Amino acid sequence: MSNNGNRWDPKKFKAGEIPDTSVTLTDSLNNKTGSWRSMKPVIEDKYAPCIKACPTNTLIPQYFDQLIRGNLDAAGWILLEHNPIPSVTGRVCPHPCELGCNRGRYDQPISIREIERFVGDHILDKKGIPPKVETGKRVAVVGSGPAGMSAAFYLRRRGHTVVVYEKEEKGGGVLRYGIPEYRLPKKIVDREFQALERMGVQFKYRTTVGKDVTVEQLLQEYDAVFLGHGAMKERHMGIPGEEHFLSGLEFLWEVNHGNLTPPGKKVAVIGGGNVAMDVARALLRLGAEPIVLYRRTEKEMPALKEEVERALEDGIEFRFLTQPVAARKENGKIILTCVKMQLGERDRSGRPRPVPVEGSEHDLEFDAVVAAIGEYVDTSFLPKEALDKDGWLVADRKTGRTPVKGLYAGGDAVLGPATVVEAVGMGRRAAEAIDAYLNGVEDYKPAPLPRTVSFKYIMTEYFPKAPRVEVPELPVEERIKDYFKEEVLGYDLDRAVKEALRCFSCGHCNSCGNCYVFCPDYAIKWVDDKPVVDYDYCKGCGICAQECPRGIITMEFERLF
Amino acid sequence: MAMRLALKGLGNRVMATIPACCWTIIDGAWPNHALKIPLMHTAFETAAIAASGIRAALDVKGEEDVTVMAWAGDGGTFDIGLQALSGAAERNENIIYVTYDNEAYMNTGIQRSSATPYGAWTTTTPVKHPESRPKKNIMEIMAAHRIPYAATATIAFPDDFVRKFRKAKDIVGMRFFHILSPCPPGWKIPSDMSVKVARMAVETKVFPLYEIEDGERVTINYWPEGRPVRDYLMMQGRFKHLTDEQIEHIQQFVDHQWKRLVHLHELTHGSLPEEAQATLTSR
Repeated sequence: MSNNGNRWDPKKFKAGEIPDTSVTLTDSLNNKTGSWRSMKPVIEDKYAPCIKACPTNTLIPQYFDQLIRGNLDAAGWILLEHNPIPSVTGRVCPHPCELGCNRGRYDQPISIREIERFVGDHILDKKGIPPKVETGKRVAVVGSGPAGMSAAFYLRRRGHTVVVYEKEEKGGGVLRYGIPEYRLPKKIVDREFQALERMGVQFKYRTTVGKDVTVEQLLQEYDAVFLGHGAMKERHMGIPGEEHFLSGLEFLWEVNHGNLTPPGKKVAVIGGGNVAMDVARALLRLGAEPIVLYRRTEKEMPALKEEVERALEDGIEFRFLTQPVAARKENGKIILTCVKMQLGERDRSGRPRPVPVEGSEHDLEFDAVVAAIGEYVDTSFLPKEALDKDGWLVADRKTGRTPVKGLYAGGDAVLGPATVVEAVGMGRRAAEAIDAYLNGVEDYKPAPLPRTVSFKYIMTEYFPKAPRVEVPELPVEERIKDYFKEEVLGYDLDRAVKEALRCFSCGHCNSCGNCYVFCPDYAIKWVDDKPVVDYDYCKGCGICAQECPRGIITMEFERLF
Repeated sequence: MAMRLALKGLGNRVMATIPACCWTIIDGAWPNHALKIPLMHTAFETAAIAASGIRAALDVKGEEDVTVMAWAGDGGTFDIGLQALSGAAERNENIIYVTYDNEAYMNTGIQRSSATPYGAWTTTTPVKHPESRPKKNIMEIMAAHRIPYAATATIAFPDDFVRKFRKAKDIVGMRFFHILSPCPPGWKIPSDMSVKVARMAVETKVFPLYEIEDGERVTINYWPEGRPVRDYLMMQGRFKHLTDEQIEHIQQFVDHQWKRLVHLHELTHGSLPEEAQATLTSR
């Protein structure tokens, strides 16, 4: 024996000597086993389906992650990367993200909109930082609705001078003059505009493009022009006596200008879209008795399901399968002649076509009638080259580019009546395209979206089932009394975090550490609170990829050359 | 993986004995070894008694803060080492004995052990004559010695695993761990499924997570929602040949064992947690 009864000293070990027992000279780190591998794990953030489903592509799991870690500001800034007005969309968005949410296939989707609202309100008065560098390029934005606000925000952020033209005396478009107070308080809209002003966006109010200044003039005066004038013309029904009707947009415009007297006690609201719902619910809160007339059934209504449900909860009367065919005025009342309808074959929109039932004419008597059967885009003031042969504005959906050089468009002006969030998304994408154009990039193409993590890559074992966190709301009997009370009260911090914790965080590494814990080798290293693969030791067993709860780690074949 | 979690729970002041098992290989060939703790390779049947000896020597030297751990496979525990283990348990030696159970003699070519469950294929219980006896219940054998602490654990529940080892470290006397340790070649599963299979064993109640204190007080640590055993069995090639009747037989056996365990939990604690009732009815 070589150690003569003294403690064995591994450092003095010489080849050929025999120790008393096996000793630790090194550890397994000495033995690089990476060469045994035929597959290798790749750690890469991907897109969650909610991001893909959202027209703005907001990085939802990413900002949830920051929210959960307590970095509220960081969460807000991530949110603002893709959506400049989360306080607005956090209130009025139809949340397509929640339809995409993988958790919807497990128990209930995450209440993404309510968390967005909480984070948006947190950052609302902090955002609006002027750009560090001025580029000196000038861009005109026509219309200050959601599309225009979004385009202005992202153009200004990139250092361009932005001038917004708005025909009303205040900005916001549909946000201010369309959506009623109880859904979107105008104070929020004001604060959004204060943020834009802090950034240095300039506004020209009471200036109507097409009247006070033409698009051609703007194109000459500015380096680029963005059209976000919306779809603000009410369709006509084409029936006799229509001149006695109010249009839905007109009514909401009046109410949002402070005219709170309803046009009568018993009011008919014609239509089944969002404007019709807003009109009916606003009328109820102003003390009228609205009755909604719709020619199909509840199932076919184009309004958001949530809004219809709320209208029904409010106790508003709906008459389905009812179509007005004529109107006349008698003794200050409006008599609507209606026919009963039945559902026939499906039309091009996929909905069953309503067909009149013969001999079902009947008269209904109202104090006033509001028609809200759809809106269309006013294109009369636009250059001919930007229109197609049917008179529609032509613009690329991904970049907002029109056939006219330097002229871009987005929002309802391009899509026809759609949603705030789509307008916001198009506004941002157009801003990016305009920025590229101003920097002399020919043939700008937006970068393709990363891969999406579908439900089958989510390891549900790691997520105990849990219902959504309840959203505090005003009780029905209270909310129908007051037009000015916001009906949804929203999450506080505790609720927002609790709900965000339900998120699978699909495709976004939230440093859960599973791969680190389960790696049988030393192959996962923890660097800056994120896992990194050390390929010297990875044998390619694939456990990390299997156990990643959110589909970030994928196994790929090793390529030798 | 199990070793790392165990040492995470126990810390650095540990000595280990390892009998013949696949860890002899993992650890590396003499005169080197890969663990950063003193380790003694022993004969197949002597892990427990060797650990007892080291303990006695340490006590004489006054190094009482050092934990001694015997780390043996199912063969070295359920079969060959049982006599030495029983002796150590009966004397209530102050050691931790861990069996990492992969349900056969995997290291020597997947021969059946008394830990091999009913219906499983091994090279000595081929598909024509699969294992006909249920798995030996080592936890009950150990509990029958009235040792201070015995617990089950698996790598699929690392928090539970580490917590139990930390707890065991502070207990004086014989402590026993039964760890279900999937063996990809022996169970005929792809290596990336190891953790999933272990988790499924718990979820299907085939391998419940529980602890027995003083040989009598039973606590179930995890209440699975309950999935059919078929889900667990069909993940593995070694059960592919099973007929529906055999699977039903296994299901009934598992359900019965679970009911027994729940009853013991109830006896210990006087009542059952809310989630318990669902585990008795749903499959």
